Amino acid sequence: MAAERGAAAEALVGQVVLPGDLLLLPAHYDEDAEGERLRLSAGAAPQGRLLCGPGLRRSGAGLLVTKCGLLRHRPGGGGAYWVDSQQKRYVPVQGDHVIGIVTAKAGDVFRLDVGGSEPASLSYLAFEGATKRNRPNVHVGDLIYGQFVVANKDMEPEMVCIDSSGKSSGMGIIGQDGFLFKVSLGLIRKLLAPKCEIIQELSQLYPFELVLGMNGRIWVKAKTVQQTLIIVNILEACEHMTSQQRKQALAKLSGN
Amino acid sequence: SYIIEERSFLRCEDLVYGRMSFKGFNPEIEKLMIQMNSKCKEEEIEEDDKMEADVSDEEMARRYETLVGTIGKKFLRKRDQRVLKDDDEDDEVEEGNSNTRPSKRAKKMFLKPQD
Repeated sequence: MAAERGAAAEALVGQVVLPGDLLLLPAHYDEDAEGERLRLSAGAAPQGRLLCGPGLRRSGAGLLVTKCGLLRHRPGGGGAYWVDSQQKRYVPVQGDHVIGIVTAKAGDVFRLDVGGSEPASLSYLAFEGATKRNRPNVHVGDLIYGQFVVANKDMEPEMVCIDSSGKSSGMGIIGQDGFLFKVSLGLIRKLLAPKCEIIQELSQLYPFELVLGMNGRIWVKAKTVQQTLIIVNILEACEHMTSQQRKQALAKLSGN
Repeated sequence: SYIIEERSFLRCEDLVYGRMSFKGFNPEIEKLMIQMNSKCKEEEIEEDDKMEADVSDEEMARRYETLVGTIGKKFLRKRDQRVLKDDDEDDEVEEGNSNTRPSKRAKKMFLKPQD
């Protein structure tokens, strides 16, 4: 079977790639001339390591695509390539901030449903200011915003609600009321982009609070139920609307 | 080699913090938003601090100049305080009691007996 010739990675940035495509990288990432070439040609070759993001896998001299989507590239910090793919099912990844629902309390550990294949575990000591005597006030059915500390395919995912310096920095139990709903993962990433238009336009409407979990879950709380539902409907629909339609919808709302 | 495999989008893209609040709905989260997002843009904030100082650098320097003297006087011993006061008065009033002044001015030190 003839092997496919790969295409240069830079040529395909911003285009659709399919699983099985091989992307060739410029020669200075080769294993043969590793040390010497990088040191000598400091001007031409970007120093540092290349990040091979989700949807890509390293194979020999190049990158193998494993998911279909658009290829993205970030030139800063050594460069990074990844595939911007769309999916609804979340796979726990270490370091991601997610919203979990407490399903059970098993001794010292809470079981959270994060939308993955397994429930994640969260120790009661992983909250800010929690000690053995001072337990956090968590009940079944509560919403928790935390990050994964262990998440791979061999072990059960574990979450914590503090960061590496011991501060909660916004994580922990999400308060009362509000509305939780699920969207696709691509939309979450779009909303979390810096200077997202949707968020900026929505923030002009009413005062509200928003928590976005990387597992596709969004929690919204506004002053009245009606405002909350309006924001929920806009967020759910904006995935399939063009920016023109979205502006029209928002103009109608703010006119009301 | 120099290729690292990464499964998280957080390392590739520049995503903001997931908890947000708008129009003052939750003031703590608004403070958090500024704090989290300023970790990326620390340079701008350093410049702003210089502009927003309530007391300018010159004023601070002047204040400290006199402050050191004032606090220093507090810790002088009693005799040294009289000496200081005499010095101040001396500038204004040159005449009068010039006999007692020199003796007071000289600190009383141990005089070795001449044998």
